[in-house]
Amino acid sequence: MTATMPQTGSRRLSTAKAMVEAISQEMERDESVFVLGEDVGAYGGIFSSTTGLLDRFGPTRVLDTPISETAFIGLAIGAAVEGMRPIVELMFVDFMGVCLDQIYNHMAKIHYESGGNVSVPLVLTTAVGGGYSDGAQHSQCLWGTFAHLPGMKVVAPSTPYDAKGLMTAAIRDPGPVIYMFHKGVMGLAWMAKNQRSIGAVPEESYEIEIGKANVVREGSDVTVVTVSLSVHHALDVAEQLAGEGISCEVIDLRSIVPLDRAAIRASVAKTGRLVVVDEDYASFGLSGEVIASVVEHDPTALKAAPVRVAVPDVPIPYARELEYAVLPTPARITEAIREVMHP
Amino acid sequence: MTDIVFPAMSQDKADAEGVVATWFVADGETVAEGQLVAEVAMDKVDMEVTAPVAGVITLAAAEGDAVRQGGVIASIT
Repeated sequence: MTATMPQTGSRRLSTAKAMVEAISQEMERDESVFVLGEDVGAYGGIFSSTTGLLDRFGPTRVLDTPISETAFIGLAIGAAVEGMRPIVELMFVDFMGVCLDQIYNHMAKIHYESGGNVSVPLVLTTAVGGGYSDGAQHSQCLWGTFAHLPGMKVVAPSTPYDAKGLMTAAIRDPGPVIYMFHKGVMGLAWMAKNQRSIGAVPEESYEIEIGKANVVREGSDVTVVTVSLSVHHALDVAEQLAGEGISCEVIDLRSIVPLDRAAIRASVAKTGRLVVVDEDYASFGLSGEVIASVVEHDPTALKAAPVRVAVPDVPIPYARELEYAVLPTPARITEAIREVMHP
Repeated sequence: MTDIVFPAMSQDKADAEGVVATWFVADGETVAEGQLVAEVAMDKVDMEVTAPVAGVITLAAAEGDAVRQGGVIASIT
């Protein structure tokens, strides 16, 4: 962690380019860092998470793999325990089913099983999220699933600045980090994008401490706790509602594990109202965990019942109208905030 | 004044049209030579556009605008 964060400067990048810059700078700095996964080479990652790395570092450090996630994630884990620092991409998080044993039984447990003697300094990058009609098997977030399984950190940036700093921190972390990038925050030319996907990024290397949430908008009436693309929506809604005299404080968790419970509690202590916006499934996940963090600590902290805006417990529909009916849209967020303001 | 044109991305069609996908700079901003200023897209392929010279940039197209290759998207003075 750096003591003072660098000034943003005026140079702007997309989230995808900020991610690549962090990887590139760490590859320059540390020869043990390498990248592997499906289409991470010539294609540059299907969501531009590795664009240009093959040209710069060559095929011995940027490896295109066959479609065999168990094999290449296993390879990355083996490399990590032997002292390398692999960045391995699982193309869509939805594909975790075919390689979960490597992830949660090996990657996440080796450090514990070895009595702390063996470290697994690995970053598993993966694309998450919906909103572009890619169907039930390519649109999930699933961070709650990884977060539930002990032994890995889980981060999900919402901005280019955070994407670079969290990537640098993830690569330097001594343990496994799941780095979940929402396709909708990458700033891709071919996908609908929020202006917040393009932002100022310092050229020098810096780290954002994993486990520290960011109060991205201060407010006094209601705390909106969220992460990833939903931060963009929450900020848009907060701007809108400010015109009606509702003051929203928006917290970008940035990390799901560790969860910055202290930041959530501090904000709710101020506002007394809580809305959790989570693009993952509603039940048994992040949204419930955030609420529990507050009420377990102080059952009197809330003036109104908390409200969750999450994906109801159904697979993400392919049809655009149905998909947008389940996603945490600005309209649903607005409605939830009104609900906690006027219960 | 130096024009920035939509790059030639199609070899088959001289007047092929693409889209200005992203501006990384604002109108009236000072840019350095070689600085990334825009990303343009044609037929699902995107390409970076950098500033050919240093100076103050004036944008001539908005994000989402369709522009023929070779068409002016900005100028630098």
